[in-house]
Amino acid sequence: MNFSLIIELTKRDFIERYSGSALGFVWSFIYPLINILIYMIVFGTLMGARLPGTDTVWGYGVYLIAGLIPWTAFANTVTRSSTVFLDKKHIISKIRVDLATLPIFIVLSETITFCVTFMIFLGILSLTGYLFTPLLLLIPLVYIVQQVFAYALGFFLGMLVVFFRDLKEVVSILFQVWFWFTPIVYVYQILPQLAQDMLIWNPMLSVVSAYHDIFVYQKIPSFFFLTHVLVAGIVLIILDCLIYKKLEKDIRDFI
Amino acid sequence: MIKIEGISKKFRLYHSPADRLREILFHTSYHKDFTALENISFEVRNGETLGIIGQNGAGKSTLLKILSGIVIPDAGTIHIDGKVTGLLELGTGFNTEMTGLENIYMNGTLIGMTHDEIDRKKEAIIDFSELGDFINEPIKTYSSGMVMRLAFSIAIHADPTCFLVDEALSVGDAYFQQKCMRKIQEFRAAGGSIVFVSHDMNAVKTLCDMAIMIDHGKMIDYGEPKDVVDFYQNMVLKKMHQGDVPAEISKVEKSSNVKNSSISTGEVELVLFKIFNDKDEEILYMDSEHPIKIIFEVKAHKDLDDPHYGLMIRNNLGLSVFETNTYCMNLKPEKIAEGKIARIEWVMNFPLYPGTYSFSVGIANRGFDIGSFEEYLLLSHDVDIIKVLLNSQSIRYSGIFNMKPAVHCFIK
Repeated sequence: MNFSLIIELTKRDFIERYSGSALGFVWSFIYPLINILIYMIVFGTLMGARLPGTDTVWGYGVYLIAGLIPWTAFANTVTRSSTVFLDKKHIISKIRVDLATLPIFIVLSETITFCVTFMIFLGILSLTGYLFTPLLLLIPLVYIVQQVFAYALGFFLGMLVVFFRDLKEVVSILFQVWFWFTPIVYVYQILPQLAQDMLIWNPMLSVVSAYHDIFVYQKIPSFFFLTHVLVAGIVLIILDCLIYKKLEKDIRDFI
Repeated sequence: MIKIEGISKKFRLYHSPADRLREILFHTSYHKDFTALENISFEVRNGETLGIIGQNGAGKSTLLKILSGIVIPDAGTIHIDGKVTGLLELGTGFNTEMTGLENIYMNGTLIGMTHDEIDRKKEAIIDFSELGDFINEPIKTYSSGMVMRLAFSIAIHADPTCFLVDEALSVGDAYFQQKCMRKIQEFRAAGGSIVFVSHDMNAVKTLCDMAIMIDHGKMIDYGEPKDVVDFYQNMVLKKMHQGDVPAEISKVEKSSNVKNSSISTGEVELVLFKIFNDKDEEILYMDSEHPIKIIFEVKAHKDLDDPHYGLMIRNNLGLSVFETNTYCMNLKPEKIAEGKIARIEWVMNFPLYPGTYSFSVGIANRGFDIGSFEEYLLLSHDVDIIKVLLNSQSIRYSGIFNMKPAVHCFIK
């Protein structure tokens, strides 16, 4: 595996996004800052939404953001990985690169965004008088589980998209639906029983719930379901490798 | 060292990429095969250069792509020692918004350098590219020549052990091309292997140690560059010859005197110059697009061990429309002893645009390189002229000569 290449591509990803603008990299702080502020102010103070089981005005805002930041990292990783072979066509068709490493730079790049956003979130939380607990140290663990799964899924879709170009549209629609089938803006317990039973099969349910447990309910998340997600991710990676072995030649020919 | 054995590559042509997956899932065939390469084997030792020639679509690019690992062959083995860098990937990953220096890092990493390696070599890269302070400007402000200079400079500093050189080298000004060539020679002298794909037969002959010729994916010839190039040119000529108009006679009239200017060492003398049609009648004018025969005789006043004869045809503006010599044609005329007379006959078609043309003769001894000689013995301008008349059976056209196009018009 070529680490220099992954790091250079990641760096490139950030530089390119803001190249030519005066503030450059600072923009990647400004966007999440504004977003988080809006959510906190609109839902916390203006709408006065109360979260069952919490007593501060900030409860719902924290709930929303604690789920939204990881979800964004997950969704971006998968959707961007799914088109990475087409996006980097100009490189793949000219230089020998291991295709399996390309989604890794996206995982890395999204991780940086995730960290920056989370730091800002924690900064704002400290202003609201939020009580920090050692539970926050579990975040990297949950995040790793989530991104292993994201890489596995992104790589899988990336290979398929080479053959079915339409699939990338399907993926973006799928993520719209998936978002609403994950308790990010609403609370899992308000769903009817049938929906609750169905949502058990959504791997992102246990991931997002883990963040909620850590941030909002301040309890140790259920590792039982998270382990399932991790195993699913690893199995999918093994499957990806098998498919890649079989299809690499065709993927390179079609790109 | 590069060693490949029995490389074959078929491209499956699908209606859409999805058909490939359908094929895997349902085990039915949805494709047409296109054989790009079939059973190619060769070896390039350290310090050697292999030329690959062939017409467009012969499979040369596919072969280069296989060597650089972008395309995976269906069969055969590839053995390459060390790192391969290709000039076909010159400037890959360049972003025009970013500075030259930033692009050195990206492109350098892509072609396999580590960050530390680039840190160490960036001065050398910038030096070689001669970009100076421009290196801190975005690439979009560069001229295309500057971009090429930067790209080549990065590629050559990546320390490959094998270099895949494509036609790309023809970009850039003559000075920088020379500089690149020298650098490539250095690379070869240091033991690097080069695979060189070109349509420039002279370059193949002068640069390569061995050559292969590919036609329709098959390796037709493998051997000394000169032999392979000759074979290639013969094949191309054979293909071109089909459809040539058979010749016919025209009016004949004998000439008067012609003024001429000449430079000579006095060691040879042009004793006769005559122009004939294909019926061996001496002519002064002719219909265009007929064959002519030019005969001249040269008397040697000293021994010539490797004599060569040249002929130049110029139009009324003094512009050369065609010139060549026996050395450039790869001929080896006999030696002439002092006092002997050599007779040189040229038979050629004459499809020139109507007008007056003059003939000039050159004689030299001992050729080397691309049409250079150790001794230039005689250059005699405008020794004779011929008037070319319109061929009544020909098409109307203007320009320099009749290219005899085949034109098909369709209503869609």
